[in-house]
Amino acid sequence: MSAAQIRFATLWRREVNRFMKIKKQTLGAPLLETFLYISVFGAALGTRIKQLHGIDYVVFVIPGLIMMSFSINAFSNNSSSILQQKFQGAIQDQLSSPASPLELLLAFTFGGFMRGLIVAGLTFIVASLLVDLPVDHILVLIPSLFLVGFFFSQLGVLTGVRAEQFDDVAFVQTFVLTPLIFLGGVFYSATLLPQPFETLTHFNPIYYMINLIRYGFVGFSEVSIALSLLALTAATAALFAINLRLFAKGYRLRA
Amino acid sequence: MSEAALHIEDLVKRYPTGVEALRGVSLEIAPGELFGLLGPNGAGKSTLIHCTTGLAQPTSGAIEVFGHDAIKDYGKARQAVGLAPQELNIDWFLTVEETLDYHAGYFGMPKRERRERTKELLDTFSLTEKSDERTRTLSGGMKRRLILARAMMHRPRLLILDEPTAGVDVELRLELWHYMQRINQEGTTILLTTHYLEEAEQLCDRIAFINDGQIVGEGTSEELSGRYGVANLEDAYLALVGRNELSRSKIEAVS
Repeated sequence: MSAAQIRFATLWRREVNRFMKIKKQTLGAPLLETFLYISVFGAALGTRIKQLHGIDYVVFVIPGLIMMSFSINAFSNNSSSILQQKFQGAIQDQLSSPASPLELLLAFTFGGFMRGLIVAGLTFIVASLLVDLPVDHILVLIPSLFLVGFFFSQLGVLTGVRAEQFDDVAFVQTFVLTPLIFLGGVFYSATLLPQPFETLTHFNPIYYMINLIRYGFVGFSEVSIALSLLALTAATAALFAINLRLFAKGYRLRA
Repeated sequence: MSEAALHIEDLVKRYPTGVEALRGVSLEIAPGELFGLLGPNGAGKSTLIHCTTGLAQPTSGAIEVFGHDAIKDYGKARQAVGLAPQELNIDWFLTVEETLDYHAGYFGMPKRERRERTKELLDTFSLTEKSDERTRTLSGGMKRRLILARAMMHRPRLLILDEPTAGVDVELRLELWHYMQRINQEGTTILLTTHYLEEAEQLCDRIAFINDGQIVGEGTSEELSGRYGVANLEDAYLALVGRNELSRSKIEAVS
């Protein structure tokens, strides 16, 4: 391994090690939460709702839950990790190393990505054991999951870098992300909503992400897959470019 | 290209708040020197160190570490520097051993070498018994030892020690003095900031006084005392900061 490869692997290893050390909180709790959602919405409500667009209700909900667990875990890992290290001053050890802004950004990004991937992967395995979950369009599903994970990892990095206190991170997660995810159609189809809520849902970017993942699993979408993929790719690239610029400038990282 | 271990020219650092922490500092430290930087709190010592190690971004001026520009060629410049900061900036999640291992990884050191170096420094700084303990459980003195060991992990050619003996007990202070002298004799250049003038007098080849963001005196301890016509370095320091009335010679001995 070259010195640069060792450096990057170590930066990444540190981020993965952080969440693996507190597994109960970082992996156990999100898994339990997802399991509870499946129980409540699948076993309880599912017996009443039966089907949506010809798909069993619990199967309709699970892709959205997988997307939700991937995104929230990727986001919260990175925002917490960066803010915590800023608080402790421990981030100075990485910042005073020869690591480039790109290496630092990617290492922080992949930490959250890995945590999101593990929780989403375990959710998928558990869900597959409980219900008959199809994977209809794997060539849409894999890039969509990758983009969703990368997008929220980047958003977590941006929030962590900008944050000055834990309240700043909690605000984004509680008052921005959670409402957007819940109102983005994880648990229902937007077509069931009365106006103007149906139209408003179309302005929620997470609605398109949920539809991409749902299409990948069950082959049903309320929006154009090609356009959604294109928009998500553009948004992820834009966020990455903003973060890279902030890291290069040392924004709120270097005095 | 400069031959100096550290070459600083006309360095200015103005913070976004408008505070000018460094106002045209120029400094040169020769390879193999043990150089002391003294000054009151808020004089600019830590800002100068942060600009050298990439933790702060200079407003203008030049910094070279062994001929490598600290801004344009930051990778090589930082590779040559080991920093033991004033604040105990260690990651609470990591164990003592991990702290050292990750640091060396950030500097591209291969695994086997990291393992050997970690063992060696744990032994040198009497931390072997604590190697598997989380850093937050360590006492203040132990944390100080760990920060020094971490700074040495990647075998820096220039070691920057920012008030390493502040708040440590007599035993550790003397241990550190011995250690500094030993590695300096082995070829490591050291930049030491301290508030203890007898420490600077005892250890340093040359000393610079910094006050209000400017270097106001530079030379050996004898040169500085001679220049101000006083008996010792402490009185020279008091003369430079305009507080001659505090001289110990004016304190009556207890009979």
